[in-house]
Amino acid sequence: MRVFAGQRAWLMQRATAVALLLLVALGAALLLVGPPLTHARWLALATSPHGAVVIVLFFVALCLHGWVGARDIVLDYVHSPPLRLSVLAIIAVILFAVVIRVALTMAAHLNLVL
Amino acid sequence: MRGSGTPGKPFLLEVIMRSPTGGAPKFLNLFHIRFPIGAIASIGHRISGVLLLISLPLLALALERSLASEAAFESLRTAVATPWWGLLLLVVVWAAAQHVLAGVRHLLMDIGIGSPLAQARTSAWAVLLTAAIIALAAAIGWLT
Repeated sequence: MRVFAGQRAWLMQRATAVALLLLVALGAALLLVGPPLTHARWLALATSPHGAVVIVLFFVALCLHGWVGARDIVLDYVHSPPLRLSVLAIIAVILFAVVIRVALTMAAHLNLVL
Repeated sequence: MRGSGTPGKPFLLEVIMRSPTGGAPKFLNLFHIRFPIGAIASIGHRISGVLLLISLPLLALALERSLASEAAFESLRTAVATPWWGLLLLVVVWAAAQHVLAGVRHLLMDIGIGSPLAQARTSAWAVLLTAAIIALAAAIGWLT
């Protein structure tokens, strides 16, 4: 779990930042080039293998990045250990739930059985 | 949290909870702290990050709704046109612009670009103004 603390957290924050920049640029290019975005086009794009991978990677990177940032902020401003642990736990649960939710959403559309 | 670590391998929770500053002295009287432009850009990065974090569950929900059906997709579009959801979207647009621009500024500084004070102050102004302009453009686009 050292990944989530210390120098590796710093590194993960940067690595996910760069990944998010690339994924957003890629996503924006895919969405903005071509005909206007209708539900049919969005569904086809998002549930294509490439689209689904981009979306899942985006949310995973977003949650990892969000965790490091949120932890930094909580450590700076929340000093009482029980409160600090509670706030961190709530954030971790929410971020985990977001990843699970997105994975389930995409799996349902890709007809994957999880 | 100072001194709570036992010798040897720290317990997982202690690693996660340990403050990076340890027992460093704190001086947090906001009326005595000056806020140069770099500090404002820095706090802007944090505030926008928190806003984006709060909107993250909504984004996951929006993804689910947008794929669910044509009607759900269209209902998202109509929701965005209403004042409150429009305002929320505008806040998210500002936060995303501010966070991405300030983040790129930090990444560039990591590799040694723009660290000298004069350049750092200029880029801090540029980040804050550009994010504000993007938010303004989004607001105008939303209204017209």
